[in-house]
Amino acid sequence: MIRAILRAQWLSMRTFRLASSRRGAVFSLLTAILWYGFWAVLAAVAEELTAAASLRARIVAGLPLGLLGVFAYWQLAPLASATMGASLDLRKLLVYPAPRSALFSVEILLRITTCAEMLLVLMGVSVGLLRNPAFGAWRSAPRVLGAMAAFVAFNLLLSAGMRSLLERLLGRKRIREVVVLILVLASSLPRLLAFTGVPTRYLRQLFPAGRNPFWPWAAAADWLLGTHPGAGAAVLAAWIALAYAFGRWQFARSLRYDLEEAQATVLAAKEPSPTEKLYRLPSLVLPDPLGAIVENELRSLSRTPRFRLVFIMGFTFGLIVWLPLALQGRAAHSAVFENFLVVVSLYALTLLGQVTYWNSFGFDRSAVQVYFSAPVAISRSLAGKNIAAGIFIFLELAMLAALSALLRMGISPAKIAEAFLVTAIAALYLLSLGNLSSVYYPRLMNPQRVSVGGAARRTQGLLLLLYPVALLPVLLAYLARYAFKSQFAFWAIVAVAAALGAAIYAMAMESAVQAARLRRETILAELSRGEGPVVAG
Amino acid sequence: MPDPTPAIAVRDLRKLYGGKAAVDGLNLVVPRGCFFGFLGPNGAGKSTTVRMLTGLIPPSSGSIELLGMRLPEQELEIKKRIGLVPDESLLFDRLTGAEFLEFVGRMYGLARPVARERSRSLLDLFELLENRKLIAEYSKGMRKRVAMAASLIHHPDLFLMDEPFEGVDAVGARLMKDILADQVRRGATIFLTSHVLEVVERLCDRVAILDRGKIIREGPMAELRGGTESLEDVFVRLVGAEREFHELDWLK
Repeated sequence: MIRAILRAQWLSMRTFRLASSRRGAVFSLLTAILWYGFWAVLAAVAEELTAAASLRARIVAGLPLGLLGVFAYWQLAPLASATMGASLDLRKLLVYPAPRSALFSVEILLRITTCAEMLLVLMGVSVGLLRNPAFGAWRSAPRVLGAMAAFVAFNLLLSAGMRSLLERLLGRKRIREVVVLILVLASSLPRLLAFTGVPTRYLRQLFPAGRNPFWPWAAAADWLLGTHPGAGAAVLAAWIALAYAFGRWQFARSLRYDLEEAQATVLAAKEPSPTEKLYRLPSLVLPDPLGAIVENELRSLSRTPRFRLVFIMGFTFGLIVWLPLALQGRAAHSAVFENFLVVVSLYALTLLGQVTYWNSFGFDRSAVQVYFSAPVAISRSLAGKNIAAGIFIFLELAMLAALSALLRMGISPAKIAEAFLVTAIAALYLLSLGNLSSVYYPRLMNPQRVSVGGAARRTQGLLLLLYPVALLPVLLAYLARYAFKSQFAFWAIVAVAAALGAAIYAMAMESAVQAARLRRETILAELSRGEGPVVAG
Repeated sequence: MPDPTPAIAVRDLRKLYGGKAAVDGLNLVVPRGCFFGFLGPNGAGKSTTVRMLTGLIPPSSGSIELLGMRLPEQELEIKKRIGLVPDESLLFDRLTGAEFLEFVGRMYGLARPVARERSRSLLDLFELLENRKLIAEYSKGMRKRVAMAASLIHHPDLFLMDEPFEGVDAVGARLMKDILADQVRRGATIFLTSHVLEVVERLCDRVAILDRGKIIREGPMAELRGGTESLEDVFVRLVGAEREFHELDWLK
């Protein structure tokens, strides 16, 4: 049964017939090489550190913390980036007499897709320990490999349960947004508590440098290092049993869960709602078909669970990630504090990219045919989608400005205006790149699912490296302000960046339109294909 | 005076996929005001032809003229006068039927009030007016009905329809057939593919049968049937699908 599912998925992924898919496969391969190359380097560093006999004391003290880091990344990174990885499409598979245990096994295997990078790091640690004579070198192989396998199994089982739970909670209308806010606040709570300084002693009692032997990471370290192998193995076995029970329980509940029922929408009101009036606002100033396209995008995106999740993350995560840094630098008037709103706005702009401009047609799926079959130039369609993305970006910015005011960040109206202007200029560059990537690398996106696959996180991770390049003109303006202490230099470079951005946008639009004309068939094929028994997101 | 140019004129149309011809030298003329059935077994190249006629995919070679205009040179002008019902869904799942129809109307250049008014009357006609769900929650038949309504909203002269009756219940299919027949009466041309041969036989006045990318028979319905055979008999005979039925031992 497991082999049949995996084979069906493999066959579903055979896309070698299409040139676009080959190009996409090469792009995926490159991103995978870069992403996993980065983690392989980290694994090599971990291997060198854990192989040094002279560092024995530090390894004993530090390994539980390191494993705590691995655990946190494994369980929280998919949540923070809304990339919970591939999972079984149970709606397709439940019609077959597949044993639940077989489905659960596949689901566990699929959890590897979210955190293969952690497996690399753990392999590095294992090899390092096996080379280290202070821990028995190769003679300790059964102990090290057994402990590591148990720690991996614990993480896989727990992440399977967490995924099932979160997918259901995030799929449910009304409570989805509340759940996201709670998760965001919960994940940032330790940091905020540590920043306020009041309850750190309680935190230290709970996490005494990771050495509380009853935590799974500490037990795994005890077993790995041979300090208390029996106790460590027993504690970890108990955690595995708990994680297994939790994973099976959550998986069984997901089997009975009806996503469509949870997301069912009945728009009963005959009179236009306030939101409906908002959707129609752009049409007051934009002529058709541009107005119609913008309106359609605003409606469709705001009803898309994944978009709503990322939009909420844009202003909550942004504030939570950058607020402590800004407050720490308040006294010293640090760059982050001085430009807090610009920083969080640019962060929100980059975050929204995955659901708007990087893959403009992704949520349209086969409906993208409308843009190619209607008597409308494709440049209008792209421009309409860009305007809609811009509206959401500025809405996000307005919410950030309001929240900053509520938090008494002391941001002046001039700073707010500057944030709007700088974000608009940065958006020009990103939208230019986004239009090109939308026609060269269109990817199917499932609007009903709130998370996407691990490959998307790799791409997001690599985009983080590209953003500084795309935002270089804006960054140069700030550099000039601080280097020359001159407002004139800042605004002069901002003006140049705006002019350059507009020119680049026009050129990129022309290229994207030409590419769309030539690649229309592959774009349609890429966005109309079906999915296998495993869905990426 | 009626336009003398045909609704569809296709010459030496080819579409290659990896060296294999999905459509292989198609020559076809569909007169205006005709209800044209485009038939063929699965994989014959029908959908590929419709997608080339709509400009969604470019041909490998050959020429296409629709309503006297050349594709792709006069693409936008042609699109304004075509109503399309594709084989795959072209619907925006996160809109309601009314919102989608209004959007399509505006994409075809209708003013918003006109698009909204037509959207309401089409939803009423297709018995979808009371349904205020998102399209994502529509059944297959409802999706087809909305797609058909969208093809009508701009009052086109030529309809290109790929399996428009697939998944539609008997009542809905009857309604759609009546609407299409009415469109032909007002002078519109309908080019449709369908596997439901009884429907084609009842509605169409001309038929072409495609097999392995080539037209193997084309002409008026009455001429094709020769007075005695049903369309199904002709079709099965021409595409060589007449095979003896062998019982499988394990299915007995």
